[in-house]
Amino acid sequence: MTALIIDDEIQIRRLLRLALEGRGYSVKEAATGETGLQEVAYHRPDVVLLDLGLPDLDGIEVLKRLRDWSDVPVLILSVRDQESVKVTALESGADDYVTKPFSTAELIARLAVIQRRRSTSSEPVITVGPLSLDLTHQEARLGEEPLHFTPTEFALLRHLAGNVGRILTLNQVYHSVWPAQQSDPGPALRVHINHLRQKLSPAIHIENEPGIGYRLTVVDEKEK
Amino acid sequence: MHDPTDHRPDPDALLAEMQRVERAAQPGRLFIFLGMSPGVGKTYAMLEAARQRQREGLNVLVAVVETHGRSETAALLKDLDVLPRRHLDHQGVTLDEMDLDEVLRRRPDLVLVDELAHSNAPGSRHAKRYQDVLELLEAGLDVFTTLNVQHIESQVDIVQQISGVAVRERVPDSILDIAHEIQLIDLSAEKLLARLAEGRVYLGERADQAASNFFKESTLIALRELALRFTAERVDRDLEDIRRARRVSSPWKTHARLLVGIGPTPYAESLIRWTRRAATRLDCPWIVAWVETSAPLDTTQQDTLNRALALARRLGAEVVPLTGDDVAASLLYLARERNVSQIVVGKPGTRSHRRTLTDRIIEGSGDIDICIVRPTLAGSVKPDTNPGITSIESNATSADYFKAAAVTLSTTLVFWLLLPVTGYVFGALMLLLTVLVAGLRFPRGPVMLMATLAALGWNFFFIPPQYSFYIQKPEDVVLFGLFFIVASAMGHLTTRLRQREAAERRRQRETAALLRVTQSAALAAEPEKGLAEALRLIGEVLRAEVALFVRKNDRTLPVAAHAASDFTPDEKEHAVLTWAYDHKQTAGRFTDTLPQSNATWFPLQTATATMGVLGVHLGPAGRLDFTTRQTIEAFALQLALVLEKEHFIQAVSAAEVFDQSEKLRRTLLDSVTHELKTPIAIIKAALEGRALTDADTGDPYLLEIQTATERLQRVVDHLLSMTRLESAVLQPAPDWCELRDVVDRARTAAGGGIPESSLETDMPTDLPPLRLDANLLGQALANVLHNAAFHTPPGTRVELRTRLIRPGQLRLVVRDHGPGLPRGDEARVFEKFYRAPGSPVGGTGLGLAISRGLLRALGGDITARNHPEGGAEFTLELPVEVDDASSSLSM
Repeated sequence: MTALIIDDEIQIRRLLRLALEGRGYSVKEAATGETGLQEVAYHRPDVVLLDLGLPDLDGIEVLKRLRDWSDVPVLILSVRDQESVKVTALESGADDYVTKPFSTAELIARLAVIQRRRSTSSEPVITVGPLSLDLTHQEARLGEEPLHFTPTEFALLRHLAGNVGRILTLNQVYHSVWPAQQSDPGPALRVHINHLRQKLSPAIHIENEPGIGYRLTVVDEKEK
Repeated sequence: MHDPTDHRPDPDALLAEMQRVERAAQPGRLFIFLGMSPGVGKTYAMLEAARQRQREGLNVLVAVVETHGRSETAALLKDLDVLPRRHLDHQGVTLDEMDLDEVLRRRPDLVLVDELAHSNAPGSRHAKRYQDVLELLEAGLDVFTTLNVQHIESQVDIVQQISGVAVRERVPDSILDIAHEIQLIDLSAEKLLARLAEGRVYLGERADQAASNFFKESTLIALRELALRFTAERVDRDLEDIRRARRVSSPWKTHARLLVGIGPTPYAESLIRWTRRAATRLDCPWIVAWVETSAPLDTTQQDTLNRALALARRLGAEVVPLTGDDVAASLLYLARERNVSQIVVGKPGTRSHRRTLTDRIIEGSGDIDICIVRPTLAGSVKPDTNPGITSIESNATSADYFKAAAVTLSTTLVFWLLLPVTGYVFGALMLLLTVLVAGLRFPRGPVMLMATLAALGWNFFFIPPQYSFYIQKPEDVVLFGLFFIVASAMGHLTTRLRQREAAERRRQRETAALLRVTQSAALAAEPEKGLAEALRLIGEVLRAEVALFVRKNDRTLPVAAHAASDFTPDEKEHAVLTWAYDHKQTAGRFTDTLPQSNATWFPLQTATATMGVLGVHLGPAGRLDFTTRQTIEAFALQLALVLEKEHFIQAVSAAEVFDQSEKLRRTLLDSVTHELKTPIAIIKAALEGRALTDADTGDPYLLEIQTATERLQRVVDHLLSMTRLESAVLQPAPDWCELRDVVDRARTAAGGGIPESSLETDMPTDLPPLRLDANLLGQALANVLHNAAFHTPPGTRVELRTRLIRPGQLRLVVRDHGPGLPRGDEARVFEKFYRAPGSPVGGTGLGLAISRGLLRALGGDITARNHPEGGAEFTLELPVEVDDASSSLSM
């Protein structure tokens, strides 16, 4: 597996390289946006770690250009922690967002999540922990128990479960279910998400990051 | 068209209903304890209810309660907080009044104000107590009050007919309309009389004839019926409101609209009250119109008219002034234009033989209903003129009469001398000419005198036989008759022409002045000069001294008037104009608010803002009639618009500058953030790498670096938050969320200091979703929680209580069981870099300052105190939007 680090801070690059190589990644580096884009084209990495504050291009700009021709998973790694920046990055095609200073363990876990999502996205059955969604028959099970969802709830859950562990913005969730509508996504989503939470609790958790969106996670037995 | 099968509620009515409900949510609520007469136990019932509220935990304040020495009432006051009265000195007499400012300052949950109809002592802020109550409601306080049915404006003449007692203290019906709840305190007449006999009813200072008249069984029964009916109508209307809100299909009333035409007669007020009652019963809008004819009004009429129009405004009518000499046609035109369903007119007096105004309205009314009402008058005066019609009276002085007579006599003398040369018919023509010319100069009375004198003089001096009123030839008799008719008709016509011309001129002058004010103020190259010129013009047109206060950029009024003002208000006057500005209402002389001032103050009000106040000082003899008031209001609006435009221009250029500096500041902040956080990120990542690769994670040097790095990170985070707060880069982005999520995140963000076990969370289970900026509130709460954990021994219990203290206001209380805040320094904990003496090292001294900054950015605030039972208590309050729909869904 190849990871590309686009960051102008050489120390950050060196440390990330150490951490990633320790986990079996082969690492490429780029110090500017332009070289970063070239590196992606040249090496076809499996995952990109992108800083937003680059000397030549803004990270968002790099992301947008990249998304024109590549759907490589991208993790944003930045000091900017305002919600509006996070939403912009996520809606411009980033797969996740980690703020600096970061915890290395968390970063590695997030990287794993966005890559796993890529590998399972075309399966007819989505399995997330004890939850399994049969997309062809529109059936859902939690462990051995069959669950009943309305079509809207199923569509919503399919999208969230297909992106397990990954934060989805309100607009992304909303448009996955109601692609054509243009209105404030908050109120309608809230009602459906609440229904989902009631039906899935306690094994599956739908976390809300205020101002950003929702994230579906599996509650680990060990944590309990 | 209105389709009878259409069961959908009228969208306008629905909107109005929604707005009414919305409005009701914001200001305080008014509870009225209504009775038929004194002595039924209103005050007692009010105090009982207030005590109940106090037991429920509300903060109750008794602003005014009259016990009238009744011991059972006084006993109820015992446990309540009674506010001392304010003493006012008025001409050597000390009067006690409610201390309005103190009530506003103390902001209790519930205020008790007895006797709503009370008139305040001269020198009080408002003339009437109900206006005080309105101010309390506007300030968001709930009010309990008592009222007798006879004081309700629209019921006054009925009460007067029933009891024969004139009621002077009145409250407008509009205040009853805004009441949240009206509770009828009912007692049978028999029981009340029994109470009276036992001496348990207070009759006021004058327990005299009037009172004994009032407390007759027949009177009381009638009053009781009135009170019951009034309440029943109100209940009916509430039901109607509920139906409309719930879309219950019910017979929708066709859209009625009443129009009453009034004139400057004493009957007008009674007509207005009648129409108001009818409009209330029909639940429809109503218009009061008066037609300004070319005939000028004398002082008494003007006063009568002004009083009537003021009453109409108070009772909630739309007042429409019309102009034209054909009163009937003007009223009918308005009626058609506004889709009036019924026109109310007064019943003409019996003496009228001519075709009355009423007749003409009926003739032209077509499909409009006409309602003829017998107007009543206080006392026993019988109607003797048509109450709807202005009787044309000129305001001639005795000097005018004298001059007119002198002119006629001298003309007669001149042409008498010329008689041998000209003949007597020529004399007649000359005399007619004199009357005609005089008509252009004198009012109607003197002109009619001239016409009469000229006719008689011509007869006496000219018509043969001379020097006798006897007329020889029959054609001369006809000639004399014709002369008299032509002279008087000409006199009448010319004066009327002149009056109309004068009215026209006045209107023209006002319109022209309005135009010039707009032009000079709006188009002037230098706005200051334009404003000065506009002010000068206004003073000239009104023949008054004017003063202008333009609000400053922070929306407060300056101490000094605009430089172009004609007079400088003193301190007392300044309080009046500030009141007018704050409450967006006209105040001062000729109004009900602070009428003892010298000038009248008009707020400069646009649709969106109040730009200042305009003061008009009309001089001691000046009067503020309806037309003048309208003119001033038009000027005020023009000034307001001009000032607003000026303000916008300034705001736009300021915004451009601000945008520039804002961009710079953001860039700077971003790069500082980057420079500070990157090294920390590197150290942290390196430390983690070290700990992961090395087996001995207990390296003491590494642990020291780790602790210091965490501290450094907290300081940097706090400094950056503070900078963002202070540079106002922070814009709250409210969104719907569950409060539980916010609290959970805050607990996590507060760091390892607060384990779940030591935090006790008390949150209503049925709390609906709230719309707020969860991140900012979460950060503020996290800092408070962190502070609680940081300053108390590990494992100390921390309680978090959250409540919606009223719709739209969220309160979070964090209480710890630690040593508490340093005495006397409770408020200082929010200061930047304040650190309590003896607090552990490692704090930044910024956490609570940031919390306060965040809450203020959210429109709320945070306070701290020591809990009486020990430990520190922090209270966070902020406005939120509450999702009622989903809370009712979940029920």
